[in-house]
Amino acid sequence: MKQFAYLLREALTSLRANRTSTLVGVLTTGFTITSFGIFLLLYLNVQKVVGTLQDHVELIVYLKEDFSSEEKSQLERWLKQEPSVEEVSFVSKKEALEDFHHQFPDESFLLDGIGGNPLPASFVATISPNSNSATFVSNVATQVQELPGVERVRYSQEWVERLTLFVSYLELGAVIIGLILCLASITIISNTIRLAFFVRREEIEILRLIGATGTFIAIPYVIEGAILGIVGGGLSVGLLRGMFEVFLQKINALGLIGGFPSALEFFPFQTSLTLIIGGMVLGCTASILSVYSWVRVRP
Amino acid sequence: MIQLFHVTKHYKGCRALSDVSLRIEKGECVLLTGPSGAGKTTLLKLIFGAEIPDDGQILVQNRNIARIRPSDVPFLRRTMGFVLQDFKLLPRKTVFENVALPLIIRGLSSSGTKKKVNEALQAVGMEHKRTTETQVLSAGEQQRVCIARAVVNSPIILLADEPTGNLDPQLTYEISELFKSINARGTTLMLATHNKQVVDHMKGRVIRLDCGRLLSDQRAYQ
Ligand SMILES: Nc1ncnc2c1ncn2[C@@H]1O[C@H](COP(=O)(O)OP(=O)(O)OP(=O)(O)O)[C@@H](O)[C@H]1O
Ligand SMILES: [Mg+2]
Repeated sequence: MKQFAYLLREALTSLRANRTSTLVGVLTTGFTITSFGIFLLLYLNVQKVVGTLQDHVELIVYLKEDFSSEEKSQLERWLKQEPSVEEVSFVSKKEALEDFHHQFPDESFLLDGIGGNPLPASFVATISPNSNSATFVSNVATQVQELPGVERVRYSQEWVERLTLFVSYLELGAVIIGLILCLASITIISNTIRLAFFVRREEIEILRLIGATGTFIAIPYVIEGAILGIVGGGLSVGLLRGMFEVFLQKINALGLIGGFPSALEFFPFQTSLTLIIGGMVLGCTASILSVYSWVRVRP
Repeated sequence: MIQLFHVTKHYKGCRALSDVSLRIEKGECVLLTGPSGAGKTTLLKLIFGAEIPDDGQILVQNRNIARIRPSDVPFLRRTMGFVLQDFKLLPRKTVFENVALPLIIRGLSSSGTKKKVNEALQAVGMEHKRTTETQVLSAGEQQRVCIARAVVNSPIILLADEPTGNLDPQLTYEISELFKSINARGTTLMLATHNKQVVDHMKGRVIRLDCGRLLSDQRAYQ
């Protein structure tokens, strides 16, 4: 206990004594974790959107301008008997127009000039989540396309596929960038620690003289690295939070599609904690690397 | 207690010790003398585990330290005290903190540390400067603190390399007295010096080295 108090005091003294290099160490870790965090935020949110989209894949069947009521009821029957379809709703031309005015109030004038209602009537079929694989949905889509009175079939799966691909690129990017940044910050932190070590080489010599083990000598520097990492990690979580809020406000100000910004999320508490712990691990690794390489060369 | 068998140590192109054999008993007072470069420091470093001999064996308390593992060196050192010419005290730390360090390293309790440090400081007459930072002390005071640190965990062997090198004759006398009293309490002492005053005063066994060879070994005659 007394030993630990001593070691902790040594670490804090060293941090205070080498302010510049402490700052550099904190900023480096902060930068690393922030960059990684931005990626992670992007990744988590895109993945979430993909998840939501995947949960309700919709098949939209646009009807011909001149469909008959017989064609309509036949189509409705077909969709209802299809086992993968969970729910079918009909959107008439009038409803489609109302929806448009409601969703894009600013763009309403676009339709004013045309006269009449250019929007088609449609069926919206919700595909059950357990049968929404890409090929399956496109199969259903081609079958529906053949039915009489059908103008066009669209389905949100196309988007899901593109986004899934995007997510896998993000994953790859996150791994590569994460690795590079980790290496960079380990290098920089271990230089910070090595400097602290160099400044205090006399002291270390003395400690060795009176029988301190390598571990005893190393611990203050490992604590020092851990503190650098934790502070850097905490700083970057704060920074990410701030940037995220600003981003949300900007999006809201732009008045993008309603509902989209509210779907964006900051990481859960555990992830923030993990980032901070990640910073600590980074700092510890860096110190251990630099301290042990020193301890080993000096018996 | 300490035995050397045909110990040889080279540094790059330089023979610091050659074929030295010695036997030192428990409680002896040994004075290592000889001109500069004779190998006195080298001999002490070998016993202290700071250097490994090129040839020969060194037994300290029946442990062969010619083949000691680096991870065992700290534990060897905890059974010894070391006093150097240039003190090697931690600056910006108090006298008390400096003397307590060997005990903290061994994980001694707070109260035990306090008791032992106070005893050691009393023995060297420095208890009134407990809370002074070491860099403001005079040379003689610094050397006393070093000696207190070296004896605080009751070492079996005390090694001293030119402990009076930076001190005037009066202080040299006082420090020699201190070593004598420590030796009188049973600690084996090995002191390297080329100060004739110290050699004469200590009245111990005198081992003379020259160019890495054992020149003479005279038992004390009182
Ligand atoms: N680390 C080293 N590298 C190379 N040569 C060394 C080293 N240490 C000592 N020597 C050489 O070994 C020889 C013995 O040195 P040592 O320090 O043991 O002498 P000494 O008797 O202590 O001398 P002094 O009285 O000046 O302290 C010297 O010639 C010295 O130059
Ligand atoms: Mg010497």
